[in-house]
Amino acid sequence: MLRHLFKLIWNKKGAHSLLIIEIWASFMVLFGVLSLIAFNLNNYLEPIGFEYKDVWVLDLSTNQDTVNLPEKSLRIMQRIRSYPEVISASRTSANTPFSANQMSNSSTYNKVSVSHDFYVTDEDFSKTLDLPLRKGRWYEESDISARFIPIVINKKMEDKLFANENPLGKLIKENDTLSYKIVGVVDKYKAKGEFMTDNPALFKMLKKEDWDRNVLIKVKPGTDANFEARLVKDIAAMTDQWGIEVSYLSESRKNRQNLTVIPVVIFLVICGFLLTNVALGLFGILNLNIAKRKNEIGLRRAMGATEGNVTTQFLGEIWVLATFSLIIGLIFAVQFPLMHVFDLNSEIYITAILASITVIYIIVTLCAWLPSRQASLIHPALALHED
Amino acid sequence: MIRLQNVEKVYRTSAIETLALNNINLNVKKGEFVSIMGPSGCGKSTLLNIMGLLDEPSRGHIEIDGSKVDKYHDKNLAQLRNKKLGFIFQSFHLINDLSVIDNVEIPLLYRSSSARQRRELAQEALEKVGLSNRMKHFPKQLSGGQKQRVAIARAIVGKPEIILADEPTGNLDSAMGNEILSILQKLNEDGATIVMVTHDDAMARRTHRLIRLFDGTQVL
Repeated sequence: MLRHLFKLIWNKKGAHSLLIIEIWASFMVLFGVLSLIAFNLNNYLEPIGFEYKDVWVLDLSTNQDTVNLPEKSLRIMQRIRSYPEVISASRTSANTPFSANQMSNSSTYNKVSVSHDFYVTDEDFSKTLDLPLRKGRWYEESDISARFIPIVINKKMEDKLFANENPLGKLIKENDTLSYKIVGVVDKYKAKGEFMTDNPALFKMLKKEDWDRNVLIKVKPGTDANFEARLVKDIAAMTDQWGIEVSYLSESRKNRQNLTVIPVVIFLVICGFLLTNVALGLFGILNLNIAKRKNEIGLRRAMGATEGNVTTQFLGEIWVLATFSLIIGLIFAVQFPLMHVFDLNSEIYITAILASITVIYIIVTLCAWLPSRQASLIHPALALHED
Repeated sequence: MIRLQNVEKVYRTSAIETLALNNINLNVKKGEFVSIMGPSGCGKSTLLNIMGLLDEPSRGHIEIDGSKVDKYHDKNLAQLRNKKLGFIFQSFHLINDLSVIDNVEIPLLYRSSSARQRRELAQEALEKVGLSNRMKHFPKQLSGGQKQRVAIARAIVGKPEIILADEPTGNLDSAMGNEILSILQKLNEDGATIVMVTHDDAMARRTHRLIRLFDGTQVL
């Protein structure tokens, strides 16, 4: 029967060409949107690697003040750490978690070069963000006197540079004159949130005398705005005309998520609209097709087809048609995983391909089911009588 | 082979009731070639559809080869149509998108047979009607007579015991009509039971028995 259906559709390929193009186009759009969703979902399912709850970001703007900044910074840190509400505080570069700022660089080990995100933080960073270590330790104040600047890398970077080698104690080069010594390895650090890819990351120690405007503060659960007001007031009293802003990582995370989710939702709505149109078109065409083929339905019933056979035949025809379209679509879609387009994992594309195929078959089945069922209920004597 | 007892067929709409067949009692024996005649609208095609299990009587009973089919479900009726009955229609009812041989294979799609078996049986049936040289052609490339011969090949491909022909020569000229009737006579000689609806007296005279209908009632 399958062969018969293929033959029937193949012999009518001219008449079905627009339908084939329509299903093909739907598949391609769906593949694009589902690739985006699969990519984001894949990232979302991986943990971000740190704890953002009850962590505040203090943004200190020195404005015109350029005098003794490291010393002032040190005093501010001492003050912050002295509050009973504060569990831990850490100075960090401007690319704080969930912010729009990004710093990147590339480092080399044994002639293998890796591009990575770059974070400059002090010795309390790991404690403040509850960033667990897989290997070694986080850098300490005493490390700064060593010959090489201490760094911590993440597992992704370890895998890219060292494969099966132990990275601890190894030197990696930023350039010919600057080398870093690895003292620890963390698992993941997805600073841009759940939807970020787990990129290679490198944490470099911030020297005490270096000024950086951001401070991460881990406060005790339940710490409220009263403390925030007190903190801002106290720091303002210690500085002259500095701008002080406090934000919460949990809020920044939500904003960051929206930046990913909103475009996906927009694409989904557009795709849903397109698919609805295709489905309605398909439904109309099938209804018309069946009305035109009443004689054939009567004939098949006379030749021994049951109601079920007629339903299956019309469903089978649309499946064959969808299969033709999907084969054409697959020729395009498989190029993405084969050529590693956008440097994405092949699994993402394969998942999107499989999901798109499933959705297309579901749509064509839903659209064909009712007309096919109606076709099977046409009385054979009446169908044969119509010309 | 086919027995109809007190068969009645009423078509009902919201406004009117039409009695298409009235108390038909008929017995077609195995190997008979029976023709049904009557004016247009007298119920000939309705009677043939009921005999072919394509339509249900409003009252009465039908027996095919000794089996009462009144309580048969769709699946059993379809099986019976497929195995025991072959249909020939006035307007051929060939599927234009399928080649001649694919059209002939259609009844075999609804029974368990391999593609090879189907092809062999279809070739054999086409040889019987003298169209083995047109197997790859499409219906649009054939004359009316050739189309009807394809329809006959399709009716006999499954080797049914009964052939029901609804005005098989109605759309053909007399030469073609005679040719088709000769094929039917040959099939009858080979053992097939044939019931044929016709308007043509000359054709009817060449069959074993004539049944005449008038206003849904059997008059002969």
